[in-house]
Parts: sequence; structure tokens; C-alpha cells
Amino acid sequence: MATTTEKIYCSVVIPVMNEEENVPLLHRALTQALQPWGRSYEIIIVDDGSSDRTFPLLRELARQDPHLRVVKFRGNFGQSAAMAAGFDHARGEVVVTMDGDLQNDPLDIPRVAAKLEEGYDIVSGWRKHRKDKLIIRKVPSRIANRLVRKTTRVDLHDTGCSLKAYRAEVVHKIRLYGEMHRFIPALARIEGARISEMVVNHHERQFGRSKYNITRTFRVIMDLMTLNLLLKYLTRPLHFFGALTVFFNGLGLAALVALLLDWRRNQVGSDELNVLMAVVFLLFAAGINFLLYGLIANSVVGTGQKRDERLYEYKYYHGTAG
Amino acid sequence: MSTSTIMARPVDTAPAAAAPPLAANGKETADVRVSVIVPIFNLGGEVAGMHQDLRHGLESYCRNFEIIFVDDASTDHTWRELEKIARQDACVKLIRMRSSFGETSALDAGLKHATGQRIVFAAARVRVNLRSLPRLLAKMDQGHDLVVGWRTPRKDSGLNRLVSRCFNWLVQRFGHLQLHDINSSVIATSREVLDNIIFYGDLNIFIPVLAARKGYRVTEEQVEQRAGSFRQSRYISEYIQRLLDIVAVIFLTKYSKKPLHFLGFFGFVFALAGAGMSLYLFIYRLFGFGAIAGRPLLLLGVLLLVIGLQMISIGLIGEMITYTHAREQKEYNIETVVGA
Repeated sequence: MATTTEKIYCSVVIPVMNEEENVPLLHRALTQALQPWGRSYEIIIVDDGSSDRTFPLLRELARQDPHLRVVKFRGNFGQSAAMAAGFDHARGEVVVTMDGDLQNDPLDIPRVAAKLEEGYDIVSGWRKHRKDKLIIRKVPSRIANRLVRKTTRVDLHDTGCSLKAYRAEVVHKIRLYGEMHRFIPALARIEGARISEMVVNHHERQFGRSKYNITRTFRVIMDLMTLNLLLKYLTRPLHFFGALTVFFNGLGLAALVALLLDWRRNQVGSDELNVLMAVVFLLFAAGINFLLYGLIANSVVGTGQKRDERLYEYKYYHGTAG
Repeated sequence: MSTSTIMARPVDTAPAAAAPPLAANGKETADVRVSVIVPIFNLGGEVAGMHQDLRHGLESYCRNFEIIFVDDASTDHTWRELEKIARQDACVKLIRMRSSFGETSALDAGLKHATGQRIVFAAARVRVNLRSLPRLLAKMDQGHDLVVGWRTPRKDSGLNRLVSRCFNWLVQRFGHLQLHDINSSVIATSREVLDNIIFYGDLNIFIPVLAARKGYRVTEEQVEQRAGSFRQSRYISEYIQRLLDIVAVIFLTKYSKKPLHFLGFFGFVFALAGAGMSLYLFIYRLFGFGAIAGRPLLLLGVLLLVIGLQMISIGLIGEMITYTHAREQKEYNIETVVGA
């Protein structure tokens, strides 16, 4: 996708949806922050199927500013898809993501990029002084962060902060799908990324409406399960499913032993015996099923994942090359 | 997706260049080549009339068109009739399948040989008046990406109509597409749209749903249906297959990239219900309220727990497949890129 010969240092990726009031302000703030920086940059704004005047405004801005690229979706495909499209079009050595609602401060971009230079693959923003009025947003966020830290083992105070900087290898390596934009650091961790964080500014939302709603909780939990599996067992899924096999077969065996003991003491009638034996068989069948899932999962992973494509290999080569 | 007969190309390959001229003013249509693909099976003497109707309709609309007849291994003299037509008309291309592969394969074969940017697909089976096809193309000129033929008034059997109505209702419900006749097998669209959606097996009837899901503008236009000697009703097995196809399409459009969101929900409901029952019986037995061995609830509880966990497991395997195998499959569809 890189068509120009000129090297770009920093790509700023911003997904937007129905932010017509914010877009011109956002562009101005970005330009004011990035121009004096003295490094080449591009701004990639992904319009995720806006229905208001967001796109015409962006098109007009792109006509005036050669630094701005606008990717317009045919419909609304979600924030992960928008991020992925932005990553696919990014040509910089460093890719910085942020929200289009002006809550992040563009002046932080050079700072996180500088921190990245210290030798990290990802630098994540930490909104230490969050400017969200509602308690219903701060408290769930705190709980979620603790949960995410526990399951993904990515030690960040504020995973939900959109302002993050990545080395180009990272964004071109991770597989962003579904609703995984929330967990890009964890996804990158699967590939072996080194992650750090830094305190960034946070402003109150001036215009537009937040697209946040609490019903996502369930899907977030599902995604965390997936990440947990991928992080710990991607190369050995049989160990995950095998544990379930051991559990159910153990349960089945215990039930069988208990049943036989009771039966020897003549405490079990024939009706009861039928039900209990069915339970025993069921537990054994379940255990064997999980074993089979594990085998299938192993072959799925074996045919798909190429281990040598992971980020730590990059590091290794970089290191030995000097 | 390796078994698919028609693979989607990468979405981000210069969509602007591949797109047909956006003829919102209707003036550029003469330059856009139209390929009409008509799958045919055992129609014998009727093909001459079909060809006449097609030509008639198309000539009134544009001069740059081709007609591709796909003979799905007819067993009567259809092929000889088609050859006779092709000798006289340079716009006609013929494809003959070695054996019957069905409509999706016929569409695929026709597409591979089509040179047009506009594709019209009209299965001969549904007997629409082929003279009315240009109406769909005219609707495309107004800026729609895909136009579905709405057979009205319906001329086929009451049972067919009833099933069709149920089917449409289901698809409207789950596909979020307000069309009267989704499965008409008569559609006009552009090559770009077909390149950007994945369909295989019998899923060609869901092309409008898949296209709408990809963000294309889908609409419908009335076409006249003719009474004819077509098969009056389908077999029960075909209805069952259609139902399964609907499940496949829902899964394909909504959850193929996040299977756990779908399976995990039901999995958790089952597993929690099962765990609850088992726990209740466990406590019941532990505190000596009585024997639980003869109680069917025990079996149900364990069964639900197991089913729930298995659904979650399959969802997780699905996630692993997505993660390790579906990397190239883009979840987005770009309309334009503006800027340097």
C-alpha cells in the first residue's frame, strides 16, 4: 500500500463515526501538535459508516492537507474493523491510535512516540485523571481493568485508553478481528510484544455522543476467555482441553467407585442404578469429547500458526544485526 | 473456506478502479458492459423464445451486452438448440457443465467467462419475463449496488408461495433486509459486489443479504413472472436444506469472526443451569434430605452442564480457527480512500 517513496515516521490512526462537530477541531488540533514536531507524519481517519456530514468534511480537509488520508467504509463495520483498516493503510514506522472525540490530547503523540523509542513495541496511554463525569463509566472501567490485567497478564492501569503507540511491526503482525480493538496489547502480547505505559492527558467530551453502552459486558468476558486461551494455550490447546478431560473422567471414575461401593452394600435399587450409571457414562463421554476437541484444536493450530512469524523473532534478528 | 466455489478477492484492492462508472445520471450506461448469466436445465425448445426476449429487452437498454447460457448438463436437446442460437448471435456465449452442479456453480462458471462490469443473474427455473430485466439495470443506474427481482404477481404453486413467504420473513427478520422476494434468483449487480462477498454451496440465494451486510445498497424491482411448466413444488429435503442455509448465513454474516459470542452465550446459559441443578442436588444429598440417585433432575443437570461446556469449547475452537486461519479475511469494505 505504500505508494510514496518518502519515508513516514508517524501514522496517526483515528476511527470516527458521526463526529461532524469534532472533525474540523480534531484536524486542527492534530496539525498544531504535529507540525512543530519536525518529523514526517500522516493522519489516517477511518470513517466507519457515518450518516452525518463527517465524510464530506473530511474529504474537504483531505483536499487541503496532504498529510490527511481518509478511508471511508461502505457501512458500519465496527471499531475493530476501522482500526484494522487504519493499520492496513498506515505507512509510518510508528503508529499512534487515538479517539476522534477530542478526549485524547494530540500533544501527547510526540511523547508516546518518544517513549516507544526507548525500546518498547507498545506504549499505552494511562488516563490517570479521567474526565468522565459519570460514575457509571469510571467504576466499571476500574473493575474491567483489574479483570483484564488478571486474565491477559498485560500489566496496564488503563487498557481502555485509545491513545496508544505501536511499532509498525506490531500493527502489521497482530490479527485484529471481532471486537478485539479493546485488547490490542493482549493480542500483541500473544505475538511477543514488549509493553509499557505512560500518563496522558484526558479532556471532557465537548460535542457528540459517546457510543459506549454497558451491554457489551458479556462479549467482553467472552473475548477475555478467548485471549486467555490464545495467550496460554495457543501452541498447546490440548493442554487446555485435556484438563477438562481429566476433570470429567475423574468425576466419572469417582462416581463409578461410589456407585459400586453403594451397590455392594445393597443400598441402590435398580431404578437408581439406571440413573446413576447414565450419569457415569455421560461424564466419561464428556471427558472423551473434550479430548477430541483438544486434538482438533491442536491440528487447527498446527496447520495455521507459524511460530517463526512472532515478534520475538524480529527482536532476535534486530539484536544480532546490531 | 477452501471448499468455496467462489472466493472473495481481497477487499482493499483499488475498489475505485474496479467499480463501474457510477451512473447516477444514467448517461454512462451505454459504455458499461452487461453480462447476463442464465442457468438452464432441460428447457429444450423454449430456449429460442428466451433468447428472443432477452435480446429484445437488452437492446432497448444498451448496446454493449453479452448473454451467457449455462447448460447445467441438460439431458434433452437443449444443448443443440443453444448451439443453433450461438451460431446466429455473436453476443451469446455457451457453457456446458459436465454434470449437474446446481445454480451456484452455474453462476460461478458464468462469472468466470463474463467480461461485463454489470452482472445480471436470471435462473431460467423461476420463469420471469426476461424482457423486464433492463428494469433492474435502470434501477442500478440510480445508484444502487444490487437490485433483486421481485416476482409479482406470483404465478407458481400456492405451496411455493407460502414457503417463499416464510423464507422471506425469516431472512427479513435475521438479515435486516426489507425485500419482498429475496430468493427470486433474479439479481442485477456489479462485479465488484460479487468479488467482495463470500458465497458457496447453495448460498447464492443469499447474495442480497451478504451484499447488504457488506454495506452495499440493495433494493428491489418488480419483474413479471410467467406461468409455465416448471416444477410445482420442492422436496421436503430442500426445505430443510434452506433452513440450514439460513442458519449458515446468520453465522457467516454475524459470527464467523467471533464464534464464541454466539456459542458462548448459549453455552453459558446451559452450563449455569446445569451447574445450578447439580449443586442443588449435591447440597440436598450432603445435608441428608434424601437420596438423589433416582431423580431425573440429576441426569438433566449433568447433561446441561456438559452441553454448555461443549458449546463454549466449540466456540473457543472457532476462535482459534479464526485467529490462526482467517487472517486475510477482511472484516471491512472500503468505499473510497481520499488523500495522498
